[in-house]
Amino acid sequence: MSADVILVIVVGTALAFDFTNGFHDTANVVATSISTGAARPRVAIAFASILNFVGAFISITVAATVANDVVDAAVVTPTVVFAGLIGAITWNLITWYFGLPSSSSHALIGGVVGSAVAAAGLDAVLAGGLVGKVLVPAVVAPILAFLVAGVSIGVIYRIVGKQRPGVVTRGYRYGQIVSGGMLALAHGSNDAQKTMGIITLALIANGTLGAGSDPPTWVIVSSATAIALGTYSGGWRIIKTTGTRIIKMDAAQGFSAQGAGAAVILASTHFGFPLSTTHVINGGVMGAGAAKRVSAVRWGVAGNIVFAWLLTLPAAAAIGGITYGVTRVFGTGALGPVVVSILALTLVAFAFFKRSQQGAPVPAS
Amino acid sequence: MLATLVETKEMTETVVASIVAGIGITVIFSIAIWGAARFIDLSRSERPVAAGAAAVVTALALAGTIGSVALGIIVMTSK
Repeated sequence: MSADVILVIVVGTALAFDFTNGFHDTANVVATSISTGAARPRVAIAFASILNFVGAFISITVAATVANDVVDAAVVTPTVVFAGLIGAITWNLITWYFGLPSSSSHALIGGVVGSAVAAAGLDAVLAGGLVGKVLVPAVVAPILAFLVAGVSIGVIYRIVGKQRPGVVTRGYRYGQIVSGGMLALAHGSNDAQKTMGIITLALIANGTLGAGSDPPTWVIVSSATAIALGTYSGGWRIIKTTGTRIIKMDAAQGFSAQGAGAAVILASTHFGFPLSTTHVINGGVMGAGAAKRVSAVRWGVAGNIVFAWLLTLPAAAAIGGITYGVTRVFGTGALGPVVVSILALTLVAFAFFKRSQQGAPVPAS
Repeated sequence: MLATLVETKEMTETVVASIVAGIGITVIFSIAIWGAARFIDLSRSERPVAAGAAAVVTALALAGTIGSVALGIIVMTSK
């Protein structure tokens, strides 16, 4: 009974995390299309939500990595997964409060690693999976998106640079409908799978599924729905602040940035690499901007991203570890997760209250 | 130590696939736009044969773009 209560809390928390992931990332997915006039905000957001949902069904390789290759499922319990999720959510809340552009994906993996270490020691971490499938792709993917977008925009200007600007702009605006759609599809495929992986890990830890199992259909459908609803809900907030939060670029730059981001995320998803889609998309945008004019890129934002990237994994891991310790104060039953859930909800409400008094958070990207 | 942890084959394939898909589709689509722009200019200057050739280039490049995107999705869903 106690284990089932914890499992229900874990699934609810994971889906809430998935919703906030979509909510938080809407700007990254639709900003370029809206900025260049390729799509109206309402259309872009609805389109992105639908493709986020569809994207969650095209692969389960990233879910398998999160469930089986980061921490040893044999020593993980549902409480460990719960503590990891709280670590990720708390870190996301802190970075949202201070306007730091952090990665929800890195926070999630950091939180789970930290709680697993607190529960079972360093042996709980699968170093090969963590380094080979998380840390190295985390460094390579944004740089790759930067380079692909930079080369792409260079090629575009070589091919169409002497043609009529009106025809060219209209052409790339149409192209952005496809490239923006592919980016939303890619976002759904990589990010929704992390939640699928976490819920699957909890189900394996609870004994509901066998070791190495794939996510059940209900997990895939609920994760896809949560991220799509989050994207749709987040969009309405973005519409109001579109003019101040989006980097100005032309349609060709938008096309190359979105194309590069989608290509890198989809290729990484195919091989099961759980990426920070935020970092990859920002890498593409900066590459497209830098290739035209280096000073067009907000290098301060790039610096913030690197700073947040360095901090996210250890910080989320520390919070996940501490959270696990707090839950164990109340024993091994459901009381610990229930108490921590109440504390977390209070913290969320307090943060939103304080923020509403101080105005909108600093734009992340 | 690091070399043994990094999944070199998958990482290399990811890099190659990203470059081929990202830059390749951009090139093909840009050729379509170039063809469309040339078609308009050549039509206005009453050169129907050259305009027709530009239209064919546009059609082929658009077909190539759609085919490449479709191929990418098929590859994604095949594993």
